[in-house]
Amino acid sequence: MKQIVGVADMKVSNNTGESIITYSLGSCIGLVIYDPVVKVAGMLHYMLPESSLDKDKARAKPYMFADSGIPRLFKSAYQLGAVKQRMKIYAAGGAEILDQKGFFNIGKRNYMALKKMFFKNNVMINKQNVGGNVNRTVRIEISTGDIFVKTSGSQEVKI
Amino acid sequence: MTTIQEFIKEIKNLKPIPAVANQLLAVVDNPDSSMGDIANVIQYDPIMTASVLKTCNSAFFGLKNPAESIKDAVNMMGTDQVIELVLLKSGTETLGGSQEGYGLEEGDMWKYSVSSAVIAKQVAVSLSLKNKNTIFTSALLKDIGKIILEKHVAQSSKKIKNLVENRNLSFREAEKKVFGIDHTELGAMIAKMWKFSPRMVKIIRHHHLTDEAMMEDKEIAAVYLADCICMMMGMGVGADGLSYRFKNQAMEKLGMKADDIALIIAQFGVDMQEIEELLNIV
Repeated sequence: MKQIVGVADMKVSNNTGESIITYSLGSCIGLVIYDPVVKVAGMLHYMLPESSLDKDKARAKPYMFADSGIPRLFKSAYQLGAVKQRMKIYAAGGAEILDQKGFFNIGKRNYMALKKMFFKNNVMINKQNVGGNVNRTVRIEISTGDIFVKTSGSQEVKI
Repeated sequence: MTTIQEFIKEIKNLKPIPAVANQLLAVVDNPDSSMGDIANVIQYDPIMTASVLKTCNSAFFGLKNPAESIKDAVNMMGTDQVIELVLLKSGTETLGGSQEGYGLEEGDMWKYSVSSAVIAKQVAVSLSLKNKNTIFTSALLKDIGKIILEKHVAQSSKKIKNLVENRNLSFREAEKKVFGIDHTELGAMIAKMWKFSPRMVKIIRHHHLTDEAMMEDKEIAAVYLADCICMMMGMGVGADGLSYRFKNQAMEKLGMKADDIALIIAQFGVDMQEIEELLNIV
Protein backbone atom coordinates (compact mmCIF):
# COMPACT_ATOMS: atom_id res chain seq x y z
CA MET A 1 0.00 0.00 0.00
CA LYS A 2 1.13 3.50 -0.85
CA GLN A 3 -0.04 6.52 1.07
CA ILE A 4 0.12 9.49 -1.26
CA VAL A 5 0.95 12.92 0.07
CA GLY A 6 -0.54 15.54 -2.24
CA VAL A 7 0.62 19.11 -2.62
CA ALA A 8 0.05 21.05 0.63
CA ASP A 9 -0.59 17.76 2.38
CA MET A 10 0.83 15.55 5.15
CA LYS A 11 0.61 11.89 6.17
CA VAL A 12 1.94 9.93 9.14
CA SER A 13 1.76 6.18 9.58
CA ASN A 14 3.09 3.30 11.66
CA ASN A 15 1.72 0.63 9.34
CA THR A 16 4.81 -1.36 8.37
CA GLY A 17 3.12 -2.72 5.27
CA GLU A 18 2.96 0.76 3.78
CA SER A 19 5.15 3.30 2.14
CA ILE A 20 4.50 7.04 1.94
CA ILE A 21 5.18 8.88 -1.30
CA THR A 22 4.98 12.40 -2.66
CA TYR A 23 5.32 13.21 -6.35
CA SER A 24 7.11 15.88 -8.28
CA LEU A 25 8.61 18.34 -5.84
CA GLY A 26 9.81 21.38 -7.76
CA SER A 27 10.48 24.32 -5.48
CA CYS A 28 8.25 22.73 -2.85
CA ILE A 29 9.89 20.82 0.00
CA GLY A 30 9.20 17.22 0.93
CA LEU A 31 10.10 16.71 4.57
CA VAL A 32 10.37 13.14 5.80
CA ILE A 33 10.70 12.13 9.46
CA TYR A 34 11.16 8.63 10.84
CA ASP A 35 11.52 7.10 14.29
CA PRO A 36 13.20 3.69 13.80
CA VAL A 37 12.28 2.41 17.28
CA VAL A 38 8.51 2.67 16.93
CA LYS A 39 8.63 2.63 13.10
CA VAL A 40 6.65 5.79 12.67
CA ALA A 41 7.10 7.78 9.46
CA GLY A 42 5.73 11.15 8.47
CA MET A 43 5.89 13.18 5.28
CA LEU A 44 4.96 16.79 4.55
CA HIS A 45 4.80 18.46 1.12
CA TYR A 46 4.69 22.23 1.57
CA MET A 47 4.66 24.90 -1.13
CA LEU A 48 5.64 28.17 0.50
CA PRO A 49 7.74 29.41 3.44
CA GLU A 50 5.50 31.62 5.55
CA SER A 51 1.84 31.45 6.49
CA SER A 52 1.78 35.21 7.16
CA LEU A 53 1.31 35.54 3.38
CA ASP A 54 -2.35 34.55 3.67
CA LYS A 55 -3.71 33.67 7.10
CA ASP A 56 -7.06 32.39 5.78
CA LYS A 57 -5.40 29.93 3.44
CA ALA A 58 -3.06 28.85 6.23
CA ARG A 59 -6.07 28.07 8.40
CA ALA A 60 -7.78 26.12 5.64
CA LYS A 61 -4.62 24.41 4.38
CA PRO A 62 -1.94 24.48 7.10
CA TYR A 63 0.29 22.08 5.17
CA MET A 64 0.73 24.66 2.45
CA PHE A 65 3.33 26.57 4.48
CA ALA A 66 6.55 25.58 6.25
CA ASP A 67 5.83 27.38 9.50
CA SER A 68 2.31 26.02 9.90
CA GLY A 69 2.98 22.55 8.43
CA ILE A 70 6.22 21.44 10.09
CA PRO A 71 5.01 21.63 13.73
CA ARG A 72 1.89 19.67 12.77
CA LEU A 73 4.00 16.99 11.08
CA PHE A 74 6.07 16.46 14.22
CA LYS A 75 3.06 16.54 16.56
CA SER A 76 1.23 13.96 14.46
CA ALA A 77 4.26 11.65 14.64
CA TYR A 78 4.52 12.15 18.43
CA GLN A 79 0.92 11.04 18.74
CA LEU A 80 1.94 7.68 17.27
CA GLY A 81 4.72 7.36 19.82
CA ALA A 82 7.62 8.90 17.92
CA VAL A 83 10.24 10.74 19.99
CA LYS A 84 12.04 13.85 18.76
CA GLN A 85 15.53 12.72 19.81
CA ARG A 86 15.26 9.46 17.84
CA MET A 87 13.91 11.03 14.69
CA LYS A 88 15.79 10.69 11.39
CA ILE A 89 15.15 13.68 9.16
CA TYR A 90 15.34 13.90 5.38
CA ALA A 91 14.52 16.87 3.16
CA ALA A 92 14.16 17.04 -0.64
CA GLY A 93 13.03 19.61 -3.19
CA GLY A 94 13.59 23.35 -3.04
CA ALA A 95 14.68 23.38 -6.68
CA GLU A 96 15.06 26.61 -8.59
CA ILE A 97 14.68 27.86 -12.16
CA LEU A 98 17.96 29.05 -13.72
CA ASP A 99 18.83 32.63 -12.70
CA GLN A 100 16.00 32.74 -10.15
CA LYS A 101 17.43 35.25 -7.73
CA GLY A 102 16.71 36.82 -4.37
CA PHE A 103 13.22 36.93 -3.01
CA PHE A 104 11.89 35.33 -6.21
CA ASN A 105 13.80 32.16 -5.41
CA ILE A 106 10.96 30.38 -3.67
CA GLY A 107 12.82 27.04 -3.61
CA LYS A 108 15.65 28.50 -1.60
CA ARG A 109 13.26 30.41 0.67
CA ASN A 110 11.37 27.20 1.34
CA TYR A 111 14.59 25.53 2.40
CA MET A 112 15.70 28.49 4.54
CA ALA A 113 12.36 28.42 6.36
CA LEU A 114 13.01 24.79 7.26
CA LYS A 115 16.58 25.46 8.40
CA LYS A 116 15.50 28.40 10.51
CA MET A 117 12.81 26.40 12.26
CA PHE A 118 15.13 23.44 12.87
CA PHE A 119 17.90 25.68 14.20
CA LYS A 120 15.51 27.24 16.72
CA ASN A 121 14.25 23.84 17.83
CA ASN A 122 17.58 22.06 17.84
CA VAL A 123 16.74 19.57 15.09
CA MET A 124 19.35 18.25 12.66
CA ILE A 125 18.73 17.17 9.07
CA ASN A 126 20.39 13.77 8.53
CA LYS A 127 20.27 13.67 4.75
CA GLN A 128 18.98 15.91 2.02
CA ASN A 129 18.67 16.37 -1.75
CA VAL A 130 17.85 20.03 -1.99
CA GLY A 131 18.22 22.74 -4.64
CA GLY A 132 19.42 22.36 -8.21
CA ASN A 133 17.12 22.42 -11.23
CA VAL A 134 15.47 19.00 -11.01
CA ASN A 135 12.16 17.82 -9.65
CA ARG A 136 12.03 14.93 -7.24
CA THR A 137 9.65 12.20 -6.15
CA VAL A 138 10.29 10.88 -2.64
CA ARG A 139 9.19 7.64 -0.98
CA ILE A 140 9.81 6.09 2.43
CA GLU A 141 9.25 2.46 3.40
CA ILE A 142 7.84 2.38 6.88
CA SER A 143 9.13 -1.11 7.79
CA THR A 144 12.78 -0.20 7.12
CA GLY A 145 12.88 3.59 7.06
CA ASP A 146 14.59 3.36 3.65
CA ILE A 147 14.12 6.49 1.59
CA PHE A 148 14.10 6.56 -2.22
CA VAL A 149 14.29 9.56 -4.52
CA LYS A 150 13.52 9.75 -8.23
CA THR A 151 14.10 12.62 -10.63
CA SER A 152 12.11 12.70 -13.91
CA GLY A 153 13.64 10.65 -16.68
CA SER A 154 15.88 8.72 -14.22
CA GLN A 155 15.56 5.62 -12.09
CA GLU A 156 14.59 5.71 -8.43
CA VAL A 157 17.65 5.56 -6.14
CA LYS A 158 17.96 4.68 -2.46
CA ILE A 159 19.35 7.43 -0.26
CA MET B 1 20.32 16.94 -38.43
CA THR B 2 16.58 16.96 -39.10
CA THR B 3 15.74 19.61 -41.65
CA ILE B 4 12.88 22.08 -41.38
CA GLN B 5 11.15 20.22 -44.24
CA GLU B 6 11.25 17.03 -42.22
CA PHE B 7 9.78 18.80 -39.19
CA ILE B 8 7.02 20.21 -41.39
CA LYS B 9 6.27 16.71 -42.62
CA GLU B 10 5.96 15.54 -39.03
CA ILE B 11 3.63 18.42 -38.20
CA LYS B 12 1.41 17.47 -41.14
CA ASN B 13 1.06 14.00 -39.63
CA LEU B 14 -0.30 15.43 -36.36
CA LYS B 15 -4.02 15.47 -35.87
CA PRO B 16 -4.87 19.15 -35.56
CA ILE B 17 -6.98 20.52 -32.74
CA PRO B 18 -10.66 20.86 -33.70
CA ALA B 19 -11.46 23.86 -35.89
CA VAL B 20 -14.14 24.98 -33.44
CA ALA B 21 -11.41 26.12 -31.02
CA ASN B 22 -10.04 28.63 -33.52
CA GLN B 23 -13.48 29.85 -34.53
CA LEU B 24 -14.42 30.25 -30.91
CA LEU B 25 -11.31 32.25 -30.11
CA ALA B 26 -11.99 34.57 -33.02
CA VAL B 27 -15.40 35.30 -31.53
CA VAL B 28 -14.73 35.41 -27.80
CA ASP B 29 -12.02 38.03 -27.65
CA ASN B 30 -14.10 40.32 -29.83
CA PRO B 31 -15.90 42.68 -27.42
CA ASP B 32 -18.86 42.97 -29.79
CA SER B 33 -19.69 39.26 -29.70
CA SER B 34 -22.82 38.14 -27.93
CA MET B 35 -23.56 35.01 -25.97
CA GLY B 36 -25.59 33.85 -28.98
CA ASP B 37 -22.59 34.20 -31.32
CA ILE B 38 -20.56 32.00 -29.02
CA ALA B 39 -23.24 29.35 -28.73
CA ASN B 40 -23.62 29.32 -32.51
CA VAL B 41 -19.95 28.61 -33.08
CA ILE B 42 -20.01 25.65 -30.70
CA GLN B 43 -23.30 24.25 -31.99
CA TYR B 44 -21.80 24.07 -35.46
CA ASP B 45 -19.65 21.19 -34.22
CA PRO B 46 -22.01 18.38 -33.14
CA ILE B 47 -19.32 16.17 -31.60
CA MET B 48 -18.04 19.04 -29.49
CA THR B 49 -21.58 20.00 -28.52
CA ALA B 50 -22.40 16.49 -27.35
CA SER B 51 -19.16 16.26 -25.45
CA VAL B 52 -19.60 19.64 -23.73
CA LEU B 53 -23.17 18.81 -22.73
CA LYS B 54 -22.09 15.48 -21.29
CA THR B 55 -19.49 17.19 -19.14
CA CYS B 56 -21.85 19.98 -18.09
CA ASN B 57 -24.36 17.39 -16.95
CA SER B 58 -21.81 15.37 -14.99
CA ALA B 59 -22.01 15.33 -11.21
CA PHE B 60 -19.00 17.65 -11.05
CA PHE B 61 -21.07 20.69 -11.98
CA GLY B 62 -24.15 19.65 -10.05
CA LEU B 63 -26.70 21.38 -12.29
CA LYS B 64 -30.28 21.18 -11.02
CA ASN B 65 -31.70 20.56 -14.48
CA PRO B 66 -29.73 19.02 -17.32
CA ALA B 67 -28.45 21.39 -20.02
CA GLU B 68 -29.99 20.32 -23.31
CA SER B 69 -28.28 22.81 -25.58
CA ILE B 70 -25.17 24.96 -25.58
CA LYS B 71 -27.45 27.94 -24.90
CA ASP B 72 -28.75 26.17 -21.78
CA ALA B 73 -25.20 25.45 -20.68
CA VAL B 74 -24.15 29.06 -21.19
CA ASN B 75 -27.17 30.28 -19.22
CA MET B 76 -26.62 27.90 -16.35
CA MET B 77 -22.85 27.91 -16.07
CA GLY B 78 -21.78 31.18 -17.58
CA THR B 79 -20.07 31.90 -20.88
CA ASP B 80 -16.52 31.64 -19.54
CA GLN B 81 -16.98 28.18 -18.12
CA VAL B 82 -18.45 26.83 -21.36
CA ILE B 83 -15.73 28.46 -23.47
CA GLU B 84 -13.04 26.98 -21.26
CA LEU B 85 -14.59 23.53 -21.51
CA VAL B 86 -14.51 23.71 -25.31
CA LEU B 87 -10.90 24.89 -25.31
CA LEU B 88 -9.87 22.19 -22.85
CA LYS B 89 -11.61 19.50 -24.85
CA SER B 90 -9.90 20.79 -27.99
CA GLY B 91 -6.46 20.23 -26.52
CA THR B 92 -6.92 16.95 -24.72
CA GLU B 93 -6.32 14.63 -27.65
CA THR B 94 -3.20 16.40 -28.84
CA LEU B 95 -1.63 16.90 -25.42
CA GLY B 96 -2.97 13.90 -23.53
CA GLY B 97 -0.28 11.38 -24.46
CA SER B 98 3.15 10.74 -23.01
CA GLN B 99 6.26 12.66 -24.07
CA GLU B 100 8.96 10.22 -23.18
CA GLY B 101 11.78 12.32 -24.62
CA TYR B 102 10.94 14.88 -21.96
CA GLY B 103 10.45 12.20 -19.31
CA LEU B 104 6.72 12.91 -19.11
CA GLU B 105 4.31 10.06 -18.54
CA GLU B 106 0.83 9.88 -20.00
CA GLY B 107 -1.29 12.71 -18.65
CA ASP B 108 1.64 14.73 -17.24
CA MET B 109 1.76 17.18 -20.14
CA TRP B 110 -2.00 17.57 -20.12
CA LYS B 111 -2.23 18.27 -16.41
CA TYR B 112 0.59 20.76 -16.70
CA SER B 113 -0.97 22.46 -19.73
CA VAL B 114 -4.33 22.85 -18.02
CA SER B 115 -2.71 24.13 -14.82
CA SER B 116 -0.66 26.55 -16.85
CA ALA B 117 -3.80 27.84 -18.56
CA VAL B 118 -5.64 28.25 -15.25
CA ILE B 119 -2.70 30.12 -13.71
CA ALA B 120 -2.21 32.31 -16.80
CA LYS B 121 -5.84 33.33 -16.60
CA GLN B 122 -5.43 34.12 -12.91
CA VAL B 123 -2.42 36.31 -13.74
CA ALA B 124 -4.41 37.98 -16.53
CA VAL B 125 -7.26 38.72 -14.13
CA SER B 126 -4.97 40.09 -11.43
CA LEU B 127 -3.31 42.39 -13.97
CA SER B 128 -6.64 43.32 -15.62
CA LEU B 129 -5.40 42.16 -19.02
CA LYS B 130 -7.85 41.85 -21.89
CA ASN B 131 -7.96 38.83 -24.21
CA LYS B 132 -8.18 36.42 -21.29
CA ASN B 133 -9.33 33.57 -23.50
CA THR B 134 -6.41 33.99 -25.87
CA ILE B 135 -4.05 34.02 -22.89
CA PHE B 136 -5.75 30.92 -21.46
CA THR B 137 -5.50 29.03 -24.76
CA SER B 138 -1.96 30.15 -25.53
CA ALA B 139 -0.86 28.91 -22.12
CA LEU B 140 -2.72 25.66 -22.72
CA LEU B 141 -1.02 25.03 -26.07
CA LYS B 142 2.34 26.78 -25.62
CA ASP B 143 4.39 23.58 -25.42
CA ILE B 144 2.80 21.92 -28.41
CA GLY B 145 6.22 21.96 -30.11
CA LYS B 146 7.40 19.40 -27.58
CA ILE B 147 5.06 16.84 -29.12
CA ILE B 148 7.17 16.85 -32.28
CA LEU B 149 10.50 17.49 -30.62
CA GLU B 150 10.24 14.82 -27.93
CA LYS B 151 11.30 11.94 -30.20
CA HIS B 152 14.36 13.91 -31.26
CA VAL B 153 15.11 14.89 -27.66
CA ALA B 154 14.97 11.21 -26.71
CA GLN B 155 17.54 10.34 -29.38
CA SER B 156 19.90 13.14 -28.37
CA SER B 157 19.28 13.03 -24.64
CA LYS B 158 22.94 12.55 -23.69
CA LYS B 159 24.09 15.44 -25.84
CA ILE B 160 21.42 17.74 -24.42
CA LYS B 161 22.10 16.65 -20.85
CA ASN B 162 25.75 17.40 -21.31
CA LEU B 163 25.05 20.89 -22.66
CA VAL B 164 22.70 21.67 -19.77
CA GLU B 165 24.85 20.23 -17.00
CA ASN B 166 28.31 21.18 -18.21
CA ARG B 167 27.87 24.14 -20.52
CA ASN B 168 25.36 26.05 -18.45
CA LEU B 169 22.78 26.11 -21.24
CA SER B 170 19.06 26.14 -20.52
CA PHE B 171 17.16 23.16 -21.90
CA ARG B 172 15.67 25.34 -24.64
CA GLU B 173 19.09 26.68 -25.58
CA ALA B 174 20.36 23.10 -25.78
CA GLU B 175 17.45 22.16 -28.09
CA LYS B 176 18.35 25.05 -30.34
CA LYS B 177 22.01 24.09 -30.39
CA VAL B 178 21.39 20.41 -31.12
CA PHE B 179 18.45 20.64 -33.54
CA GLY B 180 18.78 24.18 -34.91
CA ILE B 181 15.21 24.78 -33.68
CA ASP B 182 13.63 24.79 -30.21
CA HIS B 183 10.17 23.78 -28.98
CA THR B 184 8.90 27.38 -29.00
CA GLU B 185 9.79 27.87 -32.69
CA LEU B 186 8.40 24.49 -33.58
CA GLY B 187 5.25 25.27 -31.57
CA ALA B 188 4.80 28.51 -33.49
CA MET B 189 5.19 26.62 -36.78
CA ILE B 190 2.46 24.20 -35.72
CA ALA B 191 0.24 27.07 -34.57
CA LYS B 192 0.68 28.81 -37.92
CA MET B 193 -0.04 25.66 -39.93
CA TRP B 194 -3.15 25.08 -37.84
CA LYS B 195 -4.21 28.68 -38.56
CA PHE B 196 -4.14 29.97 -34.99
CA SER B 197 -4.40 33.75 -34.76
CA PRO B 198 -1.13 35.68 -35.27
CA ARG B 199 -1.48 36.77 -31.63
CA MET B 200 -1.42 33.17 -30.38
CA VAL B 201 1.41 32.23 -32.72
CA LYS B 202 3.41 35.10 -31.23
CA ILE B 203 2.69 34.14 -27.62
CA ILE B 204 3.64 30.50 -28.25
CA ARG B 205 6.80 31.57 -30.10
CA HIS B 206 7.97 33.84 -27.27
CA HIS B 207 6.72 32.09 -24.15
CA HIS B 208 10.24 31.66 -22.78
CA LEU B 209 11.04 35.35 -23.44
CA THR B 210 14.13 34.36 -25.41
CA ASP B 211 13.84 37.73 -27.10
CA GLU B 212 13.86 40.02 -24.08
CA ALA B 213 12.14 42.82 -26.00
CA MET B 214 9.00 40.65 -25.70
CA MET B 215 8.85 41.40 -21.96
CA GLU B 216 7.04 44.62 -22.87
CA ASP B 217 4.15 42.49 -24.10
CA LYS B 218 2.19 41.77 -20.94
CA GLU B 219 0.20 38.91 -22.44
CA ILE B 220 3.40 37.08 -23.33
CA ALA B 221 4.89 37.88 -19.94
CA ALA B 222 1.74 36.55 -18.23
CA VAL B 223 2.00 33.22 -20.06
CA TYR B 224 5.71 33.13 -19.26
CA LEU B 225 5.01 33.70 -15.57
CA ALA B 226 2.39 30.94 -15.54
CA ASP B 227 4.98 28.57 -17.00
CA CYS B 228 7.51 29.55 -14.29
CA ILE B 229 4.92 28.98 -11.56
CA CYS B 230 4.14 25.51 -12.96
CA MET B 231 7.83 24.68 -12.96
CA MET B 232 8.14 25.76 -9.34
CA MET B 233 5.19 23.53 -8.52
CA GLY B 234 6.96 20.64 -10.24
CA MET B 235 4.23 20.39 -12.85
CA GLY B 236 5.11 19.21 -16.34
CA VAL B 237 8.69 19.08 -15.18
CA GLY B 238 10.41 16.14 -16.80
CA ALA B 239 13.92 15.40 -18.01
CA ASP B 240 14.28 19.12 -18.72
CA GLY B 241 13.86 19.88 -15.04
CA LEU B 242 13.60 23.55 -14.12
CA SER B 243 16.42 24.30 -16.55
CA TYR B 244 14.87 27.35 -18.14
CA ARG B 245 15.73 30.96 -17.46
CA PHE B 246 13.97 33.10 -14.90
CA LYS B 247 13.84 36.80 -15.75
CA ASN B 248 13.47 39.09 -12.77
CA GLN B 249 13.08 41.96 -15.20
CA ALA B 250 9.93 40.45 -16.67
CA MET B 251 8.41 40.42 -13.19
CA GLU B 252 9.25 44.11 -12.81
CA LYS B 253 7.59 44.89 -16.14
CA LEU B 254 4.47 43.02 -15.03
CA GLY B 255 4.60 44.80 -11.67
CA MET B 256 4.71 41.42 -9.93
CA LYS B 257 6.52 41.18 -6.62
CA ALA B 258 7.66 37.89 -5.09
CA ASP B 259 4.69 37.96 -2.69
CA ASP B 260 2.26 38.43 -5.59
CA ILE B 261 3.67 35.27 -7.14
CA ALA B 262 3.50 33.44 -3.81
CA LEU B 263 -0.18 34.44 -3.53
CA ILE B 264 -0.90 32.97 -6.97
CA ILE B 265 0.88 29.78 -5.91
CA ALA B 266 -1.19 29.64 -2.70
CA GLN B 267 -4.42 30.14 -4.66
CA PHE B 268 -3.36 27.39 -7.04
CA GLY B 269 -2.78 25.14 -4.02
CA VAL B 270 -6.42 25.65 -3.12
CA ASP B 271 -7.73 25.23 -6.70
CA MET B 272 -5.65 22.18 -7.48
CA GLN B 273 -8.11 19.60 -6.26
CA GLU B 274 -10.81 21.11 -8.42
CA ILE B 275 -8.52 21.08 -11.44
CA GLU B 276 -7.74 17.41 -10.86
CA GLU B 277 -11.43 16.61 -10.73
CA LEU B 278 -12.02 18.62 -13.87
CA LEU B 279 -9.22 16.73 -15.64
CA ASN B 280 -10.96 13.48 -14.87
CA ILE B 281 -14.15 14.50 -16.63
CA VAL B 282 -12.91 16.54 -19.60
